[in-house]
Amino acid sequence: MKQKKLAALLIVVFALASVSLCQTKERSLLLKNGNIITISGENIQGGNILIQGKKIAKVGKNLETAAGTDVIDLKGKWVMPGIIDSHSHIAIEGGVNEMGDLITPEVDVKDVINPEDINIFYALTGGVTSIHTMHGSGNPIGGRGIVLKLRWGASAEEMIFEGAPLTIKWALGENPKQTNFSGPGRARYPKTRMGVEASIRKEFEQAKDYRREWDEYNQKVKESKGKKALPLPPKKDYRLEVVADILKGKYWIRCHGYQSEEMLSIMRLCKEYGVKLVCFEHGLEGYRIADELVKFNVADSTFADFWAYKWEAYQTMPQAPALMAKRGVLVALNSDDAERMRHLFIDAAKTVRFGGLSELDALKIITINPAIIMGIDKQVGTIEAGKDADLAVFNRHPLDPYTVCEMTLVDGKVYFDRAKYIEDWKKAEEERKKKEEEAQKPKEKKNGGEV
Amino acid sequence: MTRKILKPSILVASVLFLFALQSYLGSEDKLHKVWAVKDCKIVTLAGAPIEKGAVVSRNGLIEAVGANISIPLDAEVLDGTKLSLYPGLIDSLGQSLLKLPEEKFDPLKMYSGEFTDRDKGVMPELKAFDYVSLGKSIIEKYHKSGITGAQVIPQRGMFTGQASFFSLGNADKNKALLLKDNCLGIGFSPANFMVYPNSLMGVVAYLRQAFTDASYFNLNRERWQKEMRGISRPDYTPLLEILTEYTSGKKPVIFLCNNQNDIRRSLNLAADYKLNYLICDLGSEAWRVIPELKNAKARVLCTVSFKVPSTSIHAQLGKDEKEKAEKEIYPKNPAKLAEAGIPFAFSSLGTDDPKSFMEGVQKAIDAGLPREKALEALTATAVSFFGLERALGTIEPGKIANFVLAEGDLLSKEAKIRYVFADGDKFELKEAKAKEGEKPTVDISGKWDLSLPNGLRIITEFSQEEASFSGKMTTPFGAFDFTGGVISGNEISFEMNVSVGGENLDLYFSAIVEGDTMRGTVVQGTMGSAEFSGKRIPG
Repeated sequence: MKQKKLAALLIVVFALASVSLCQTKERSLLLKNGNIITISGENIQGGNILIQGKKIAKVGKNLETAAGTDVIDLKGKWVMPGIIDSHSHIAIEGGVNEMGDLITPEVDVKDVINPEDINIFYALTGGVTSIHTMHGSGNPIGGRGIVLKLRWGASAEEMIFEGAPLTIKWALGENPKQTNFSGPGRARYPKTRMGVEASIRKEFEQAKDYRREWDEYNQKVKESKGKKALPLPPKKDYRLEVVADILKGKYWIRCHGYQSEEMLSIMRLCKEYGVKLVCFEHGLEGYRIADELVKFNVADSTFADFWAYKWEAYQTMPQAPALMAKRGVLVALNSDDAERMRHLFIDAAKTVRFGGLSELDALKIITINPAIIMGIDKQVGTIEAGKDADLAVFNRHPLDPYTVCEMTLVDGKVYFDRAKYIEDWKKAEEERKKKEEEAQKPKEKKNGGEV
Repeated sequence: MTRKILKPSILVASVLFLFALQSYLGSEDKLHKVWAVKDCKIVTLAGAPIEKGAVVSRNGLIEAVGANISIPLDAEVLDGTKLSLYPGLIDSLGQSLLKLPEEKFDPLKMYSGEFTDRDKGVMPELKAFDYVSLGKSIIEKYHKSGITGAQVIPQRGMFTGQASFFSLGNADKNKALLLKDNCLGIGFSPANFMVYPNSLMGVVAYLRQAFTDASYFNLNRERWQKEMRGISRPDYTPLLEILTEYTSGKKPVIFLCNNQNDIRRSLNLAADYKLNYLICDLGSEAWRVIPELKNAKARVLCTVSFKVPSTSIHAQLGKDEKEKAEKEIYPKNPAKLAEAGIPFAFSSLGTDDPKSFMEGVQKAIDAGLPREKALEALTATAVSFFGLERALGTIEPGKIANFVLAEGDLLSKEAKIRYVFADGDKFELKEAKAKEGEKPTVDISGKWDLSLPNGLRIITEFSQEEASFSGKMTTPFGAFDFTGGVISGNEISFEMNVSVGGENLDLYFSAIVEGDTMRGTVVQGTMGSAEFSGKRIPG
């Protein structure tokens, strides 16, 4: 029954989203009388946000608006920047891990985005507006990830976050070692942490050779100036192409890892090769090496209070994110999960409860911090004029344990409105009841006639 | 090698069944290679229909078509009064005719990590032709649905194999063949766990690398063939050699797309590697990417099972919504393509047999596809996709004599197909007769002991339901089930496909039942016929 209602409703929501995407006319929208958590500055009590098209035009009190501006009265509700999840695996079709090989940067999540994954809509109901959806942690060098804006109803291409840097997933520890695998499985190299790192180093060296071959070939082409017969070009290898591009710094490395020793070790390797290690994923022991993380300028995208699910994830505590943040580490809270994604604001509140972070710092780790990690902080992550109008509206302060996300906007457009959602739900339910009753009526008559 | 093992058992079977006469293929039809069908309506699809005219076929080709043509003296004449003549329908891509050997994955490989190309689903060398078996009964099944042309393709894996196109007249596949190894199937199917590529993103990456490797192989080989001196020759790679035929655009690849995302991926791959391609829309989601298809000038093969792909929003909102979409939304796919002017033909992939395929086409018509568009998709468009437009698809002189004679509009629900001509051979459909048959006067339910002249005895169990019956036959070669038996008065008939030593024999039984005995004939296509008698086993 419940499912039925939900079904009818979501179809409507989805259809509406698809239709309104086609409207290109730039419109003005005023969110008035809200408690605005700007993140970039002071909170504004009873403030307004003026949205022009997809962007925030003005933030403040008593804003002047032109005629024809749509108005949403927030009636004292709280509005914060749309929540950003820097580590997710939703909207991926046909497997999150390419388990068939050890080094697989040739695979790209961009090729397998499923824009109709219902989890996108569920994420919106929790105020999430942008995500980094990525390859799993099965391989030392996994696949390429993609940053999406949750424009529910749009096509895969339309959901891609314009201008977000390219990313590549790495993984250390037990997963690439395949320690916890059950059932038949080949004894895949590597089986130690040393081996995991060595496999990355080996691939780097191969990619260097590969790049050299191409450079030499290109040099010969240049020298021949179209006169001499050209030599055969080297064979194109998509895997090595990406690894060579990682060496060039073209990809932002997102490295799954739990233990401080392996994190330190991989930082040394990245320094040696001069590659761009941006963030440790999960990084539960990051608090032990906070100063080193700061020194190397690498972030930690971690959990609030999720640990002890395998031995490499034992040595942490719910205070860890706050400890790191206070020490100057760029910290973000990630979901890694379609369900956790819907209440990242609760996770942020835990850093206040356990670690004593300020409310502002707690909210930063689900907004501007992940935006910096994803390289989209110029567009999103705070409420400022000129930024994308990606907003989440809550009935109470977002860190209040009883808070509920009421409305989510992406690019200035309402993609989720709880009140309307419930209203539509009720309508759909009534309609369904009516239909059922109507369907039963003639039956009764017929039966009566036969009797 | 297997041939040698098989032959004796087939011989034994043939001798035991002792057949030497006609079956579904009337032998007298075979002798007359000149036919004239007269006084019928002719839907030529090469212009306006001829309200009353004749079609002459000679030696398998259409010789003349028209309202006022003279009938040749040597022609056997079929009176087509009240009938309409249509080009034979075409299943543009199917699997029903294919019998692939079972592929077994050895789990021990999981430990060694030594996987073959087959384990990965890379088998472009797999040729549908080698695994097609054209039994009489299967051909008849196609004819009952008005289908006289079918393309067959293996569907498993990434490089699934190469297709063959048949004209469904002769049961000898060498004679029935129209095109061999003419397209290559590409599926978005990841391999087993731990086998590369075991993810969809891995499949896309694998395909990219394979297309690139094939072009490189070709470049390398051409250079060597031209220069020879001073250039190292490339290794011969059978896989890449096959792929070069397709990456060069000479032959089309067929992307087997499970959903709209696969279609987008296919369009991207086709553009990147300049492929000659067709989209087979297994997920019936082409309607969701119409602008992209239009932009790419893509050609689509529509399937008709109308199952909602699991990736679709309609599949993630509960069973009710999914069923509703299957009934109300997805069957509109062909109609929407027709409306958008995207060329499409029909594929039977995803349906069980020709009957359910045509039922699916009917669903598309019910969902708004104009009948004439459906007919075009099943004839002229289908042949144009594969370069057969000079041979088939319309009723015009010089084309292969494949046509269907039906009462009523061929694609209407009321239509009754009476005759099918394939490669100029006439096939009369028995089913039409049975439908008009008398009410059964006998009840054959129970066990019967059937004996053939050579002493072979077969225990058969019939179960009758009004004028139809099914049953099970226990023979020295194993037990075989059959369905679709028909009883008219005290005459019974049924057909059965018997697999002996890997070969398929189609057997047609007909008999007259009198009380607890029956007497009749069993016919096997090319091998002949035999008398048999039967006794009811009491109890």
